[in-house]
Amino acid sequence: MMQKVQKSTWIYLLFSLVLVVIPFVKDERWFLFLLIQIFIFGIFAMSYDLLLGFTGIVSFGHAMFFGIGAYSVGITLERLEPTFFSFLLGIFFAAMAGGIVALIAGVLTLRLKSHYYAMLTLALASLFLVLAEKWRSLTMGNDGFTFKIPELPEGLQDHRNTVIYMFCLLSMILIFFGLRRLTQSPLGKILQAIRENEQRVESLGFRIMPYKVIISVISGVVASFAGVLYAISLRFVDTSVFAIDVTLDALLMTIIGGVGTLVGPIIGAGLIEFAHHYLSELSDVHWIFERWIILFGIVYILAVIFFPFGIVGTIQRSFAKRKQRKQEVTKSKKIAG
Amino acid sequence: MELIINLAINGISTGMLIFLIAAGLTLIFGLMDVLNFAHGGIFAWGAYAGVWFFSLTQSFLLSILAAVVTGLLIGLVTEYLIIRPVYGNHIQQILITLGFMLVLSEMLKVVFGPDIKAAETPSYLSGSWTIGDVTIIKYRAFIIAVGFLVFIAMQLILKHSKIGLIVRAGVMDREMIQALGVNIRKVFVGVFMVGSALAALGGALFAPSSGVVYAEMGMEFGIFAFIVVIIGGMGSIPGSLIAALLVGISNVFMAYYLPILSMAVTMLIMFVVLIFKPQGLFSTSGVSNK
Amino acid sequence: MESTLLKLEQVNTHIDQFHILQNVDFEVKSGEVTVLLGRNGAGKTTTLRTIMGLNGATSGSIVFKGENITKLPPYEIAKKGIGYVPEDQGIFYDLTVEENFRVGMRKDDDGTKERMEWVLELFPDLKKFWRKPGGQLSGGQKQMLSIARAYVNDNDLLLIDEPSKGLAPVIVEKVIESIDKMKERTTVVLVEQNFYMASKLGDAFFILDDGITVHHGRMEQLIRDEELKRKYLGIA
Repeated sequence: MMQKVQKSTWIYLLFSLVLVVIPFVKDERWFLFLLIQIFIFGIFAMSYDLLLGFTGIVSFGHAMFFGIGAYSVGITLERLEPTFFSFLLGIFFAAMAGGIVALIAGVLTLRLKSHYYAMLTLALASLFLVLAEKWRSLTMGNDGFTFKIPELPEGLQDHRNTVIYMFCLLSMILIFFGLRRLTQSPLGKILQAIRENEQRVESLGFRIMPYKVIISVISGVVASFAGVLYAISLRFVDTSVFAIDVTLDALLMTIIGGVGTLVGPIIGAGLIEFAHHYLSELSDVHWIFERWIILFGIVYILAVIFFPFGIVGTIQRSFAKRKQRKQEVTKSKKIAG
Repeated sequence: MELIINLAINGISTGMLIFLIAAGLTLIFGLMDVLNFAHGGIFAWGAYAGVWFFSLTQSFLLSILAAVVTGLLIGLVTEYLIIRPVYGNHIQQILITLGFMLVLSEMLKVVFGPDIKAAETPSYLSGSWTIGDVTIIKYRAFIIAVGFLVFIAMQLILKHSKIGLIVRAGVMDREMIQALGVNIRKVFVGVFMVGSALAALGGALFAPSSGVVYAEMGMEFGIFAFIVVIIGGMGSIPGSLIAALLVGISNVFMAYYLPILSMAVTMLIMFVVLIFKPQGLFSTSGVSNK
Repeated sequence: MESTLLKLEQVNTHIDQFHILQNVDFEVKSGEVTVLLGRNGAGKTTTLRTIMGLNGATSGSIVFKGENITKLPPYEIAKKGIGYVPEDQGIFYDLTVEENFRVGMRKDDDGTKERMEWVLELFPDLKKFWRKPGGQLSGGQKQMLSIARAYVNDNDLLLIDEPSKGLAPVIVEKVIESIDKMKERTTVVLVEQNFYMASKLGDAFFILDDGITVHHGRMEQLIRDEELKRKYLGIA
């Protein structure tokens, strides 16, 4: 087992290295920007996977955390001096706000059926959307606002996009390994047991509520951090960060990539972001591509029914099956021999 | 005082519209243990169908009928394509119906165009009555009357007809009702269609009162309906009525006095209910919320 | 009178990954009370649920009145003429006694009316609480309602799961008495832990152990066979 974990870690690190090298090979702006979006949504989708894949909690308001993060850092940097300290302060506010909202939602509904968390988060997210639209003195309403991000030291300022790229990439890698560690820890094992059979875990004497709430909070904090990065990458925030589309993106990325795999959502984020990019170019060809939600929605529905394990999950399963078959063959050989 | 009466009437009519959506939602949930996140989308389709048929025929009655038929048909298709593959799996149900909700909303834009559409009130229902200083908008009174009639009809059917008995028994014990010789699947399809038709009826009635229809209304009112179902207790029709009226009235009053908090007050009611009575004000004994 | 009404051959039933019934053979003759005996967890309730189609048989055949009903859904099986009285009685708590009858009534003809009158005479309590919600009845009354509800339909066979469970001895006597009367009009499969009840009512018996049919025969034989009783039923 130990051997295997290390092997996959090496593979992930190798991929990370490739991603580190990319900006030095191909530094076209749109391409770097696309990859930055993939890293950000990869983080966001992983936070979603932590809920859906590892705990069996469905959130329909994940955009809320994303938006909270984006607005927290945006408002902090706009109101205070755009210094590095304000940036850290913005992250702190984002984490606090995201965590508190997730705590409230979790405490209120996680002892009930999964419907309730889904409904409550959906409703809360729409509340935040309305709040962002109406509280114009703070958010500038639908117009949104631009803000400055901290100046980098001399020499790096010219390569700002590359720095943002590296920062987002590094964040994604750290969060990936952090969450993987978490899901493989004893806590993660309990969570997966909860997802499989809640009653049994409860009858073993575990109170499942606190575990679920903890995960809800971690997921909320990570998601709002993704929102922080998003705002930083655009240097602009508007109400679209609270839109249901953002939640739908997270759902799609997680489900297409593979629920409960962590690396799947990152792959999903890559696919969806590329699809966004090319579909918006196609909208000149035919107007139907402007209604890409329909396409995504249909793909998503079909995926839920026919492709429930996603890309990574399906691959893992076929590997596991092959391995099992191999073991059976060797076993029967041994018996025969 | 007149203001309060006017606001109250306004609130009750808003509440009745929400009740129509919530009633279908809670009925479907109670019997089938399916939470349909696409329910609001059917509401929006009812609204568009009503507006479109009204512009075509100039008959309000026909437009309502068209909306109801639209609701029945979408209900049939939804049950068959979307719900049937995921019976018994809550997480998949929630995921798939939300996806369908978005498809329904976007399809509205494809079929009817992405812009907001104006909705007319039929001439015999426009205008108002004035009693002393109180002005009663006719259409609002009409909505209240229809909502109330629907409530009474549902109660009578559920309480006294054989099919109502079967539906109620099915909510309590799905297995036993089959062992008594009832094909509950068929009943499910019927209930799903009726629930969807109620949402579509709500949509068709909503359109003239707001004056416009738009694709996002489905999500907006769908959320209201969820909140109402949580407050009223999942599976309870009277609970939905009381909760819908509560939400409608408090929303209208807040929108008048403190507009920025109108959505928040609804949430606040829901929070209080979730903290103190998480199974809702009127939970039915047969439905567990765990 | 001695014709076979119901026959299970080599029936297997799985619930999730568990293999509950293993090649169960079971036979019911018309006009008799056949008692299904065995320890807790032996598969008695699952046998009834499999007959009813509530737990589908994975293999084997179930023939009722000469017709193969193995793959039919529960509501079709019920319509063929099998009434089911589950272990938890299956009373709809929020419906009144009257509604509990009405919801399960498949026809409203003279035969149904006649059976209704007969069964209400047998259980006068039900008549007394006609408008009371089923949930408010006592345990014994719930049991009577469940049996009566199954009987009112034009059924050829009643499957009754542990009617004596949780009832006071006086009430058990009453239930025995009523099933004894019903016996003249219908065929009954009775799952029972209470050997006293089983021996009073049964004509034939089957014993299940760990999902396997281990013994069957006439009730008189079992009553005399101390060895068999001790081995499978734990009766000294």
